Amino acid sequence: MSIVKDIGHTEKAFKTDEMIINMGPQHPSTHGVLRLILTLNGEIVKNCEPVIGYLHRGMEWLGQNRTYVQYQALVDRVDYLAGMSDSHAYIMAVEKIAGIQVPLRAEYIRVICTELNRIISHLLWLGIFMLDLGAMFGFPFYTFRDRETILSFLEEVSGQRMMFNYIRIGGVFKDLPKGWTKKVKKWLTTEFVNYIDEYEAIATKNPIFLVRTQGIGYLDPKLALNRGVTGPSLRASGINIDLRKYKPYSVYDKLNFNIPTSTVGDTNARYQCRIQELRETAKLVVEAIDKLPGGDTEDLEKNRAELTSGENPTYKAEDLMFIAKGKNVPMGFKCGPGEAYAAVESPRGQLGVHLIADGTSVPYRIKWRSPSYNNTSILPDLIKGHPVSDVVAIFSSLDVILPDVDR
Amino acid sequence: MNLLTKTIDGCYNIFRGLFTVFKHIARNPITSAYPDVVPELYPQTRHRLALTVNPDTGEHLCIACKQCERICPDTCITVIGDPEKKGTIKDFYLDHGLCMFCGLCTEVCPTNCIINTVDFEMSEYTREDLIYDIDRLTLTQEQSRFYFDFKEMPKPRPKPEKKPAPVQTQTEAPKPQPAASARGGEKKS
Ligand code: SF4
Ligand code: SF4
Repeated sequence: MSIVKDIGHTEKAFKTDEMIINMGPQHPSTHGVLRLILTLNGEIVKNCEPVIGYLHRGMEWLGQNRTYVQYQALVDRVDYLAGMSDSHAYIMAVEKIAGIQVPLRAEYIRVICTELNRIISHLLWLGIFMLDLGAMFGFPFYTFRDRETILSFLEEVSGQRMMFNYIRIGGVFKDLPKGWTKKVKKWLTTEFVNYIDEYEAIATKNPIFLVRTQGIGYLDPKLALNRGVTGPSLRASGINIDLRKYKPYSVYDKLNFNIPTSTVGDTNARYQCRIQELRETAKLVVEAIDKLPGGDTEDLEKNRAELTSGENPTYKAEDLMFIAKGKNVPMGFKCGPGEAYAAVESPRGQLGVHLIADGTSVPYRIKWRSPSYNNTSILPDLIKGHPVSDVVAIFSSLDVILPDVDR
Repeated sequence: MNLLTKTIDGCYNIFRGLFTVFKHIARNPITSAYPDVVPELYPQTRHRLALTVNPDTGEHLCIACKQCERICPDTCITVIGDPEKKGTIKDFYLDHGLCMFCGLCTEVCPTNCIINTVDFEMSEYTREDLIYDIDRLTLTQEQSRFYFDFKEMPKPRPKPEKKPAPVQTQTEAPKPQPAASARGGEKKS
């Protein structure tokens, strides 16, 4: 009788020792080099301790040894999947101190490029997330196919595929190439929408996918707020904080877009939020292209006279420039003394730069507030009590990228 | 009943996903056949750096102003001007192993001399081979003409510069010959 009872409680019947296992740093699904010290009881994770720092490159220190202009080439590496957001945050901080008024057209171009970058980042996340869940057969190829198209769009604009160095102090590097806006708009409205449907057809309702994600890794909204989790991971827990709406920077207050949220808070909800954000972002890019002051680049010269002359000109002449006057020669830029904090909503959450300038051409102190660092801190709480196979799924659903954690 | 609907629903969705996947069987591959098909690159693309010559006259465009050397975040450029003749380049070293292709040097160059080419195939067997000297960096006249057109850079205007240039060299040219030792005093005069 007692034996039968004990078999019901296997833990008591077979006394097991806890086992400590190192996952990573060289593990394919740790999105870089993260080491997790897992304490296992059988299959169940009892404790988890993330060890970070393997990808530390000293981005802050590098900035303090380079001029503002030289450092702007390096900031894309902070979070290399969302380089535009990094540049945007850093440049916004510099502009705040120097008091530079950015032309309206430049702001729109920044928004277009940053949002395209958001799509890239989410697409990469989607492919890798599926891979981590075990969809080895081909799913990443679907997202990488579309990512490739956007990367070539951004390459045409900025010159490189990931290390853009495109957003500059006072504006952007160059105006959009001729015919680019039409091409992007056409691709986003006709093809990309169907591609998202394709992803959803494969994954969203697939029963295996649902079993792997539903009810796994519940993130408590209170805990998330306390730990400073931001981005889609927070919004999937029911807290609608997006800096683009909450504290609009750049020209986001002039654009209409929705912030997808969910109240469920599990892995599946985070997936849903990001998929919806893909759709919203695609719409946002199209809207920004429509509202671009001066219109497409090929028509800009034609429109310029019409838009800026007359009694009530739609725009001032300087609104239609892509970089503020006298800022496109990057030598000898100085700013300060002063202190500024600028934050943007990167694909992973709130990305901030705290900059202290002392009036020389070299920043006195730079501090990055990276979203992935805070999002990683939540990991032990999420995976405690889950089997080993869910560790990767939960970690992946947070969309943490390690260069952003370690900087 | 619940189990039944669940099963039917699950089967439907699995087959829907499989159908989506199988639709791709007949289409052309999306991966690029790289070594056979050279990828399309854009004028702004930043790859291997090079120095241009004047596409019309073939003279080197670098004026040894060292702007590129000063702005480079990775200090990978070394410009050695000709001590004999101001404004001409003697040697130019660029370490492509350090370069991160940020393109800042190309922006500050006053004569559009240093440019990013579209050549990205530059693997070497040793690190030393990645340090390019002026001979390896300088493009031919044909290549320079191609890049000036491709990047829509303003062509260097030789005529207004050149006309005073021979006058100066003519007046200066006789000077070094008799007084080569008194170079320091010459500069001031
Ligand atoms: S591209 Fe950037 S890193 Fe390379 S030589 Fe020019 S300034 Fe230096
Ligand atoms: S900036 Fe241009 S002209 Fe000046 S030294 Fe460099 S390559 Fe020569």
